[in-house]
Amino acid sequence: MMLALFFVASWAQAQTADEIITNYFENTGGYENWGALKGVKMNFKVNQGGMEIPVEVVQLSDGKQYTKVSLQGNNFMQGVYDGNVLWNTNFQTMKAEKADAETTANHKLNTNDFPQDLYDYKKKGYKLELVGNETVEGTETFKLKLVKEPVTVDGEKVEDVVYYFFDKENFVPIAQESEVVSGPQKGVISHITFSDYQEVEGLYFPFSISQGVKDGPSQPITVDAIEVNPEIDESEFAFPEGE
Amino acid sequence: MKSAFYVTIALCTLIFSRVSAQEEIKLKGKELFGDLQARQIGPALMSGRINDLEGHPKNNRVIYAGAAGGGVWKSFDGGVTFKSIFDEHPQSIGVISIDPKDPDNTIWVGTGETWTRNSVSIGDGLFQSTDGGNNWKKVGFNKSERISSIAISPSSQDIYVGVLGALWSDSEERGVYKSPDGGKTWERILYIDQKTGCSDLVTDPKDPNILYASMWEFRRTPWSFNSGGQNSALYKSTDGGKTWDKIHNGFPSGKLGRIAVAVAPSDPNILYTVLETEQAKNNGLYRSDDAGKSWQHLNNDFGLVVRPFYFSRLVIDPKNPDVVVKGGLFGSISRDGGKTFKNLGNMHADIHDILFDINDSDRMYVGTDGGVYRSYNGGTTMEMVTNLPISQFYHISVDDNEPYNIYGGLQDNGSWYGPSSSPGGIEARDWNSIGYGDGFRVLKHPTKNIIYSEMQGAENVWRYDVDRNKNKTIQPLPVKGDPKLRFNWNAPMAISVHQPDRFYMGSQFLHKSEDMGDTWVKISPDLTTNDPAKQTQEESGGLSKDNSGAENHTTIFTIAESPIDEQVIWVGTDDGNVQVTQNGGKSWTNTITNIQGLPKNTWCYHIEASNFNKGTAYAVFEGHSTGDFNTYVYKTTDFGKTWKSIITDEIDGFARNIQEDYENENLLFLGTEFGLYITINGGLSWSKFTNNVPAVAIHHIELHKKTNDLILGTHGRGIIIIDDISPLRQLSQEVLQKNVHFFDSKPTIMVEESGFGGGSTETQFIGPNPSKSARIVYYLKKRHTFGKMTMEIQDSEGNQVIELTPGKSKGINIVTWNYRTKQPKVAKGKTFTYGGFTSPRVQAGTYKVVIIKGKDTYETELVLVNDPTSLLTDADRKVKYDVTMKLYDMSEDLAYTVYEMDEWVTRAENLLKEDAKSKKVAEPVIKLLNDLKDTMVITKGDNYVGAAEPQLREKLSDLYSKIAAGFEKPSASEMDNLKLIEERFNKAKADFKKIKEKQISKMTAYIEKGNLKPITIKSKDDFLSE
Repeated sequence: MMLALFFVASWAQAQTADEIITNYFENTGGYENWGALKGVKMNFKVNQGGMEIPVEVVQLSDGKQYTKVSLQGNNFMQGVYDGNVLWNTNFQTMKAEKADAETTANHKLNTNDFPQDLYDYKKKGYKLELVGNETVEGTETFKLKLVKEPVTVDGEKVEDVVYYFFDKENFVPIAQESEVVSGPQKGVISHITFSDYQEVEGLYFPFSISQGVKDGPSQPITVDAIEVNPEIDESEFAFPEGE
Repeated sequence: MKSAFYVTIALCTLIFSRVSAQEEIKLKGKELFGDLQARQIGPALMSGRINDLEGHPKNNRVIYAGAAGGGVWKSFDGGVTFKSIFDEHPQSIGVISIDPKDPDNTIWVGTGETWTRNSVSIGDGLFQSTDGGNNWKKVGFNKSERISSIAISPSSQDIYVGVLGALWSDSEERGVYKSPDGGKTWERILYIDQKTGCSDLVTDPKDPNILYASMWEFRRTPWSFNSGGQNSALYKSTDGGKTWDKIHNGFPSGKLGRIAVAVAPSDPNILYTVLETEQAKNNGLYRSDDAGKSWQHLNNDFGLVVRPFYFSRLVIDPKNPDVVVKGGLFGSISRDGGKTFKNLGNMHADIHDILFDINDSDRMYVGTDGGVYRSYNGGTTMEMVTNLPISQFYHISVDDNEPYNIYGGLQDNGSWYGPSSSPGGIEARDWNSIGYGDGFRVLKHPTKNIIYSEMQGAENVWRYDVDRNKNKTIQPLPVKGDPKLRFNWNAPMAISVHQPDRFYMGSQFLHKSEDMGDTWVKISPDLTTNDPAKQTQEESGGLSKDNSGAENHTTIFTIAESPIDEQVIWVGTDDGNVQVTQNGGKSWTNTITNIQGLPKNTWCYHIEASNFNKGTAYAVFEGHSTGDFNTYVYKTTDFGKTWKSIITDEIDGFARNIQEDYENENLLFLGTEFGLYITINGGLSWSKFTNNVPAVAIHHIELHKKTNDLILGTHGRGIIIIDDISPLRQLSQEVLQKNVHFFDSKPTIMVEESGFGGGSTETQFIGPNPSKSARIVYYLKKRHTFGKMTMEIQDSEGNQVIELTPGKSKGINIVTWNYRTKQPKVAKGKTFTYGGFTSPRVQAGTYKVVIIKGKDTYETELVLVNDPTSLLTDADRKVKYDVTMKLYDMSEDLAYTVYEMDEWVTRAENLLKEDAKSKKVAEPVIKLLNDLKDTMVITKGDNYVGAAEPQLREKLSDLYSKIAAGFEKPSASEMDNLKLIEERFNKAKADFKKIKEKQISKMTAYIEKGNLKPITIKSKDDFLSE
């Protein structure tokens, strides 16, 4: 028994960033299966002060994506990307508008991040580092730092860094942090937690996600359904010209 | 036999140790406190002391401010707004420096403020960030106490650190240090002695091997300050610190005090220095035009010589060597190379640092005792940064208003009170001034709208009548036979829970008034050591006299009347006495000799008289002003006959205050120089609380009796509140052993408020309000990561009221519910009907909370009660609820009706496509239904000024929202309006029925006859539950 304990301890210490994420992808469906994933559709409801808002998020491996927010029976498309144009529906005029050039350019940099930015990070030229241990959600975690392609903010190049917190016991990320790099919240640390991992066709996804700022309020969502490799009509992503 | 016995013992030991290993759960910090989050409410309107400013060398949007007690703040927008980036580390900042080789990422922070006033905190060494301030690692200098300077080579891995060192004691860790390898290894390259530290270190902007270091001999004691000595000197090195030469050619001989030095960035031959010397005429500004070979004395104006220990910063315009600015009472700027100076523009006094913009010298930033100021015209007009909540409270107190107010006094920023909650958040304008100068203790009269406040040394003690806007000064005055009254800089005052008009103050005597300060009686002899050697403040200061009163000593510092017995009064003195009377002051006992392990004369900072037993008290001592940073907290249960330490080595930092819980005597809260500690077992073990409580000096703690809020008065991060700590009272091993445990909570008042607020600008700090929602508080033994975990609220019949998302953290989780159910489903129109976004409140009563975690179900009850301040009678409330739900149901009814109509129109339109002959039956359906729908919902326009005329849906949901969101009985006008809407709705339904019976019926028959695709319409229940 002593021997076993010793092994567990040294094994835990010897973890490298690569081992942690390899372990994660293998345990949550297999590295190859994650690579073969073509797209994900997720349905959930946001609850804001008693108001329930249904939301549908689609992300495809080629970078196309949308978020469909349903309010009083009408759909508002947000963060829609068709491979070229990033656009949103204006809630007041209810018409589609293109995102500004800088935001679009920054978004394009993230289109290689499907299924996750950690996946095949080396091929993308990202850097990953185990920076230490931290207690997150009352739980011991490995803290990993992922440096992606720099983004441009108000004309300046800024590093794009994400921190992942992997539960030491089961090797899944339970939290993610990154610095807000643009807008009036610039400098604030965004904090996202993940739980309720469940299997969908062999892959494990977090069905509960809570998004907020570090040491501040957060907005939890519970995912109702996840569909892998969904069939999505191309027209959903297209910017509606001439509206 | 013997061996069998041993085996049994061994087995027992094994079993016992295994059992206890399984049973004992020791949770610390984040593992335990989970979602119990503090809120930082500022205020920022008076801000707080800044020690150092630093700008990014290439990007003028990025600026850093190092607060004396409030950490490091970073601005990304050229100093308009700032964000805190150093919460987890000591908040007392000496210097910030940016690596010119990697200015976006590599930042160094030397902790420990360097403008060595009486109230300074301490640092904990040198820190480095390599990601722009998001993460920090400690580099070393554990005993440095205060770091004044960091110089980083632009071309090599050389880093130089100037350590000012210990203020109150000898220390070896002083002088100039060098790292040749970017901070991995360090060598001390200039050291004078244990009393002399490096107060300024600068490098030549063109040659990083040329260094200038000013060395300062200085010392504080609790009762004196000394600046200056034979060892203070200015040195230069031209070989990267290998050798040093004094550069005093042109300086007067004799002792020197604090020396400031600066090199012109645009011309390294031009240097300025400010000297503190033996003769006033020699003090002030010196200039060298030959890189320090010789000096010329230029100016000894007040602004150049004032309080060198507090103001010794020289800053030169990066573009013009003749523009030089010096910190001071008001700050001084010269534009003629130091010959003449004028004051900087109006702003908070006490200027500690100045920063020029890298591109435009008209843009300047100034760090003061009242925060950061910006100027766009070379320092003439100053504009305050209004979002730096780094206020430095000495003491705080609370009242029992709803919401309660918090009162407190601040370093150089007077005294204030403000609410714990306010419509739109706690804004600058919510705070009220209640005293000038340095503020300390502020107390609200227990029953009258009267506030007591004070300024330094009890020079003024104000009794302010809030309603009449009148104040009177009431400090005890000497009477015949009195010696000089010795009041501490931070003079103690106290009120009584037994006699509302009673008011205590402490000099060396305890003074009592029974008429709110009009008549004073001394109820004690001199309770201090009355040591004359500690009463020579007139001689304090060293080379520059400095008798501000800040060093007054041998005084009473804390007074506590027992909440159980008014005859029992405790007094603690700054020279280490703990005195108690059990007869209202007739006789006193000094209990200090009964305390073991406490160095003699250690400052008694706080005594907490227990709520549970009149012989029980806690005494907090701190010896930082003699260089003793240990934590000292003792408890007595026998009026001080015996004292027991309740400290463990889990605590970091010397402590100033302790707060006992009102219900669980083992629950204690301790404020130290580095944060908040909590014990749930009377001090056997302590856990640091960090959830949004930075590692800041906590000077005072209050626990609010009604709300159970823990209120922290911090010396650098304003007021911090942990709302409702009552779950901590219920923590026990039994609780910690359970997989899921719901904490009991008192019934939630469904607050009825609808005021206005929130008019602050986006650059002003706004303190967050407490949540008024119901709290579901539970403990999880382990974080929930895999599988489903849900939470819902059910009514008494088990019907789901709403689904909530539960927290999954190990430790304490808090889920809030705003006692609302879902919003009604509204008819689909072209645009929003804003009233339809309102969710109705549920009725008062008992609800069930159900957590399903995997296969297990956990339940608890939650009680909602109506607001006792409500304007509604029970009957009115029923009417309001019934009308609200009637409109809610009407809204859903309308939604279904419109859905049905839309389905028929769609079917008719498809029919036209399928079968050209259907025109006769389909077209009337389309036309009549669309015409009818136009009167029922908006079918055109947008959500802004392109909006169409409101129709039935909009009118209905507006009335619904008006009544649902209000807190009064529906008015006659609203009921009339309801009638109108009902009539209109009934008519629309009747019209639809007619169309159904006639045109739709015909079309249906046509479809059936032609064997065409039948229409499928969802049932109302299915439609609504979608």
